[in-house]
Amino acid sequence: MRVRHVVPVRIAQVLCASAAAALLFGYTDLVLGGTTVAPLLLVAGYVVLVPAVILTWR
Amino acid sequence: MAMTAHSVGTAVPKPSYGLAALVGVGVLALYVLTLAPTTAMWDASEYITAAYTLGIAHPPGNPLFVLLGRVASLVPAGSVALRINALAAVCSAASAALWYLVAERVLAAWSSPRWTRMLASVIAAVLGATAFTVWNQSVVNEKVYTVSLAFFAVVSWLTVRWCDEPDGRPADRLLVLIAYLIGLGYTNHPAGLLVGPAVAVAILVRKPATLLRWKLVLAGVVALGVGLTPFALEPIRAAWHPVMNEGEPTGCTQHIGVACTFSKTTAVRLMANINRDQYGKPDLSLRQAPFDAQMGMWWLYFKWQWLRDARGTQPGMQTVFGLVFLVLGILGGVTHWRLERASFWFFGPLVITVTFALVYYMNFKYGASQSPELRDVAREVRDRDYFYLWSFSTWSVWAALGLATLWRTMATRMTGTAPRWLATSPVLLIGVIPLAGNWRDASRAGETATREWAHDLLNSVEPYGILVTMGDNDTFPLWYAQEVEGVRKDVTVAVTSLLNTDWYPRGLQHRAVAAYAAAKGPAAYRDLPALRPARPLFSLTDAELDAIPEYIDVRDPQVFQAGTLRAIVDPRQLDVGVPTRGDLMVLRLIKDNLGVRPIYLARTSGGYVQALGLAPYAVMQGLAFRINATPVVSSMDVLPSTGGVHVDVKRTRALWNGFGAPAAMIRRGDWVDRPSVGIPFVYITTALMLADAVMAQGDTAKAGRLRRTAIEVAEAARLLDLLLPEAAARQPTTPASDVPRSRVIPLKPR
Repeated sequence: MRVRHVVPVRIAQVLCASAAAALLFGYTDLVLGGTTVAPLLLVAGYVVLVPAVILTWR
Repeated sequence: MAMTAHSVGTAVPKPSYGLAALVGVGVLALYVLTLAPTTAMWDASEYITAAYTLGIAHPPGNPLFVLLGRVASLVPAGSVALRINALAAVCSAASAALWYLVAERVLAAWSSPRWTRMLASVIAAVLGATAFTVWNQSVVNEKVYTVSLAFFAVVSWLTVRWCDEPDGRPADRLLVLIAYLIGLGYTNHPAGLLVGPAVAVAILVRKPATLLRWKLVLAGVVALGVGLTPFALEPIRAAWHPVMNEGEPTGCTQHIGVACTFSKTTAVRLMANINRDQYGKPDLSLRQAPFDAQMGMWWLYFKWQWLRDARGTQPGMQTVFGLVFLVLGILGGVTHWRLERASFWFFGPLVITVTFALVYYMNFKYGASQSPELRDVAREVRDRDYFYLWSFSTWSVWAALGLATLWRTMATRMTGTAPRWLATSPVLLIGVIPLAGNWRDASRAGETATREWAHDLLNSVEPYGILVTMGDNDTFPLWYAQEVEGVRKDVTVAVTSLLNTDWYPRGLQHRAVAAYAAAKGPAAYRDLPALRPARPLFSLTDAELDAIPEYIDVRDPQVFQAGTLRAIVDPRQLDVGVPTRGDLMVLRLIKDNLGVRPIYLARTSGGYVQALGLAPYAVMQGLAFRINATPVVSSMDVLPSTGGVHVDVKRTRALWNGFGAPAAMIRRGDWVDRPSVGIPFVYITTALMLADAVMAQGDTAKAGRLRRTAIEVAEAARLLDLLLPEAAARQPTTPASDVPRSRVIPLKPR
C-alpha cells in the first residue's frame, strides 16, 4: 500500500481533479433526483479516488 | 529455534499480495456456493430495498452502504437481492484476504520455511471467514456489518504497515488515509469508529511524537471530516421523499430546496437519525442485564462460531470447541506479543475493544437463546451474535496464530535433526472445523421462503387493500416485494411500530396508491371490483396527524365506533397497557377507510384483533384478517374459528393454492432463525384449519394432502411438537421488531 516511488505531479493533479469532479457531479446529480449516475460517481469518488489522492498527496 | 522477541527494526518481508488475493477469491467462491438467492428475514429486505431505491434505512441511515448497495444493484447479473447479497460476500472475502496479510506479517519473524508461514496465514483467513456469524452474515445482506468488517480489515492492515515504518511521508499518508477510512466507515455504521482507539494506542506506543505534529493532525482531522460527508446523502434524498424515508431527515415538505435543506428542522432530524435518538437506549449505568450475563451472551455466541449446532444435538462438542478456540486465541495473542510487538499494540486493543468494551457498551438484555431456564428476565427479541462479528473475526486471527504456534511446537519437538513440518501439519485441520461444522447452518443457498412469504401475505389482501402489520418480519419483506419486485404495489402496508413516529404516517399520507395489476394478482380477485382510491389514507391534515398524542392514559375498555362497526377496545390487552399513537393511528385508519378500501390485519399480529375488539368483524382470508363493517355471519364457506374470528374457507383455499412459501420451506428443510418461527407456524395452522374445513365438506383426499403439508412444514421448521394439543401454550408469538422503533412508546403504566 505504501507509495515507494514518487508519483508524477501530473498524475497526482489528475487524481485530485477527478476526485473533486466525481464528488461534485455526483452530489449535483443527487440533488437533481438522480439515482443511477450519482451513486456511481459518489462511490468512485469516496472509495477509489479520494484514497488515491491521499496516497499520492505531495 | 527460539522465537524472535521483538521484530521492530528488523527487515520487513514483502507481503504475499498474490496469495492473499487468491485466498480472497477462494473465500468468495465458498460464499457464492452458499449465497442466498433472494431476500431473508429481519433487516435483509429493508437494506435491499433502501439500496435499490436509494432510500433512507433505519437510523443512522447507513448512507455509505446505501450508495454501495445501489451500485451493486446495477450490476447486470442475477436478481437485485442476489447482487446486494453478493456485496456482503465480496466485502467479507476482501476482509479474509487482509487477515491473511496481517497474520503473515505477524509470523514473518518466524525462522521457518516461508510456506509454513503462508499456510498458517491461510488458516487465519479461512478461520475468520468460516466463523459462523461471519459466514452467515456474508451470504445474505442482512446487516451492513460485512462492509464494516472490510473497513476494519483495511484499517488494520494499514495500521500494521504504519507500525512497520512510522517515519516519512508515506507513513504520514497512511495515517491520513486511516483517518479518512474511519470517517467513511462511520457513515456505513457507527461501528466504524471501534477501530479508532486501537489506532490511537498503536500511535501512542509506536511513535507518540506523531501526535505533536500539528500539520499531520490537522490533515487527519480534515480527512476524517471528508470521510463523514456521505451523511449529506440523507437530507438530499429525504427531500425527494423516497418510499423508504426513515426518520425523514429533511425540513422540505414538498420539493427539495436550499432554504428547507439548510434549515434547523433538517439539522435536528439529521442529527436525531445519526445519533439514533429513535431507539432511546438507556444510560450505560443502567445495566439491562448483569455484566457477567452479558459476557455470558458473548460466550454463547463465541461457542456458536466454531460449531453452530442449531439443533442442539452436540452441546458438549460445541463447548469443547469453544474452549479449544478460546485457548488457541489466547495462545495466539501471546504469540503476537512475542513475535511482533509493534502491531500487537494495535491488534490487542482492537480485540479488547470489540469484545469487552463492546459488550459493556451494547448493554444487551439476556440473549434470545441464552439461559432458557431463566423465565422472568428481559430478553432481546432475537439473537445478537451479529453485533460481535468483529470480535469473532479478529479472534479468528489470533486463534490461527495460536494454532500455528501449536504446529511449530509439535514440529520442532519431534525427534529428528530438522523440524517435521509436514508430519505435524494435520494439526492444522483444527482450523477447518468451522468450515465443516457450520456449513449446514451458515449456508443460505436455496432459501426463498421469505420472498414467498411476502408474496403470499400481499396476495392475501384484496386490490387496493390496507394491511396493518406489526414488526420487521411481516413488514420489510413486503417492502422488498413491492419496491424491488413490483409485487402488489396497490396494497398500503402500515406497520404499527412505525405508526408511533411522526414521520411515517406523514409518508403514508402523501404516497399515491399504485394501480392494481389484475393479470398478476390472484385468480380469486379477478371478478372483484377494483377501484383505485383517489383520496389520502387519513382524512386529516399533516398538522392534525402530528397532533395525535404519543398515547392516551386510558386503562379501561372504550367504545370505538366506525359507521356500523362498534368495537370495545381493551387497553389492558395492548402491548403497553394504554392506547399508543400507533394504536390510535390504526383506529383512525379503520374509521377513515372502512367501506372504502378493504382493511386487513396480518395474522402475525397475534391478539391485536381481539385487543381492538374487532374479532366479531374479522374474517381470516389467507394470511390476514379482513375487517368488515358488520359482524361476520357464519355460512357454508365462512366458519367460526378460535379467538372469536371466522375463517373464509373458500377464499383461503383459493389463496392457499397459490402460496409459494410452504413448498419453499419444505424444500429448504430447515428454519434456523428461531425467533421468526412464527411465520412457518402461520402456514401450519392455515393448512390444518383448511384440512378440518374440507374434511367437514367431505373432501378427505384434499384434507389428507393439507395435513401432510402441515406436517412437512412443521418438520422443516422443527415445530412438530407444537402440533400436539397440549402444546398450545408454547405456540410461537408474533415476530417482533428487531429494535424498539420509537422512543414515543410509553412505559407500561404503574
